Amino acid sequence: MALKSKHQRLILVLIALVAIIGAGLLAASALKDEAAYFYVPADVKAKGFTPGKAVRLGGMVVAGSLAHAPDGVTKTFTVSDGKATVPVRFTGIAPDLFREGSGVVAEGKFDAQGTFIADNLLAKHDERYMPREMEGMSYDPKTHKVTGAAKP
Amino acid sequence: MHAFANPAKFLSLAKVLTPWLFWGGLALILVGAGCGLFVTPADYLQGESVRILYIHVPAAWLGMGGWTGLAIAALMQIVWRHPLAGVAGRAIAVPGALFTAICLATGSIWGRPTWGTWWEWDGRMTSMLVLLFLYFGYIALARASAEQPGGIGENGGVSRVTAIFALVGAVNLPIINRSVVWWNSLHQGPSITMRGSSIDSAILWPLGLTVIGFSLWFGAIVLMRMRSILAQNKVEARMARLAREAA
Amino acid sequence: MNHWPFIIAAYLITALGVLGLSWGSWRAMRAAEARADAMRRDR
Repeated sequence: MALKSKHQRLILVLIALVAIIGAGLLAASALKDEAAYFYVPADVKAKGFTPGKAVRLGGMVVAGSLAHAPDGVTKTFTVSDGKATVPVRFTGIAPDLFREGSGVVAEGKFDAQGTFIADNLLAKHDERYMPREMEGMSYDPKTHKVTGAAKP
Repeated sequence: MHAFANPAKFLSLAKVLTPWLFWGGLALILVGAGCGLFVTPADYLQGESVRILYIHVPAAWLGMGGWTGLAIAALMQIVWRHPLAGVAGRAIAVPGALFTAICLATGSIWGRPTWGTWWEWDGRMTSMLVLLFLYFGYIALARASAEQPGGIGENGGVSRVTAIFALVGAVNLPIINRSVVWWNSLHQGPSITMRGSSIDSAILWPLGLTVIGFSLWFGAIVLMRMRSILAQNKVEARMARLAREAA
Repeated sequence: MNHWPFIIAAYLITALGVLGLSWGSWRAMRAAEARADAMRRDR
């Protein structure tokens, strides 16, 4: 009998655990859109944008797209997620890690023409960590393989 | 599973293990942190601030590992009525909360030079903050269960409600782990996965030392706190017997 | 931006937490075990 009640408790706890985890995961997946910290250009392309509404836009700064306006503090660049691109204009001080080919999260709003007017930039770091000498070597996120020659 | 149900047996093992885990862990932490501060190269993008990784990652691992420990202890308490399970839960809670707090603090300090912000309400940071509040809840419930007269908390354990709270709170662990995959987050995705590591080995190696070192030290702290509780139990049991004899 | 103040702050916070908890847990354990041992002796 002692063994039985022990098993009964085990089964009860397991059922409760499965139910709680299921509920938690359901809630998390329901929050998928709400809990997104930023939107990517593909979302903008698919769902459109509301001019003037405060949102965050995240993606990669397209290499070669960064341009500095004559006033010295305004930058324009293109943010891409590989599926779509959005032009961004930012006036202010960018974080040190903000650079072409790297991730960025811009806070701001769209103007009527679809240009994203950022009032704050955050640099998004990716999951790669490597010494400076290895910069420029190409990295495959699928296999975690680094190939190519190091910077001289 | 019940090999250590006898506190005397557990104590004799704990007394041997405590100094080894404590000093061994501390030595590994010092070597790992020293190498991480002065030997490894800076990251190509983050620069020197990558060195915060060597304490941030072990802190995250132990903050989450601590709650895993609370959940396992709770399971052992509810299902097998293991006499030391509640004691273990009570002993884990404070170091687990400390590491969760260290993880949040070091992450925030890293975020300022790297992201350009101390704090953002993204999925990873928010779910980790929730874990810290869960620890506070557990500590409060554990404390309250010691005050129930005649309850299981009398023996240094925790009440049934506290154990159930630990199990329910475990739902947050997969959410923390997956938060950077499910949601667009400012925090980067997982660097170390089943397929390998995207952290170059020149930067990665001291991390192994600090993760193991902090884990051993964590074990020593939990053993110390369990020994305190068990010694207190002895004193209290003796006092109760004296009071009965006097009456 | 110089990163070293940030690194030092992060390591300092961790060191304080580790040393504080080590000290607190060790003292509590020594005190509790000493009391238990003393009690056993004068039984």
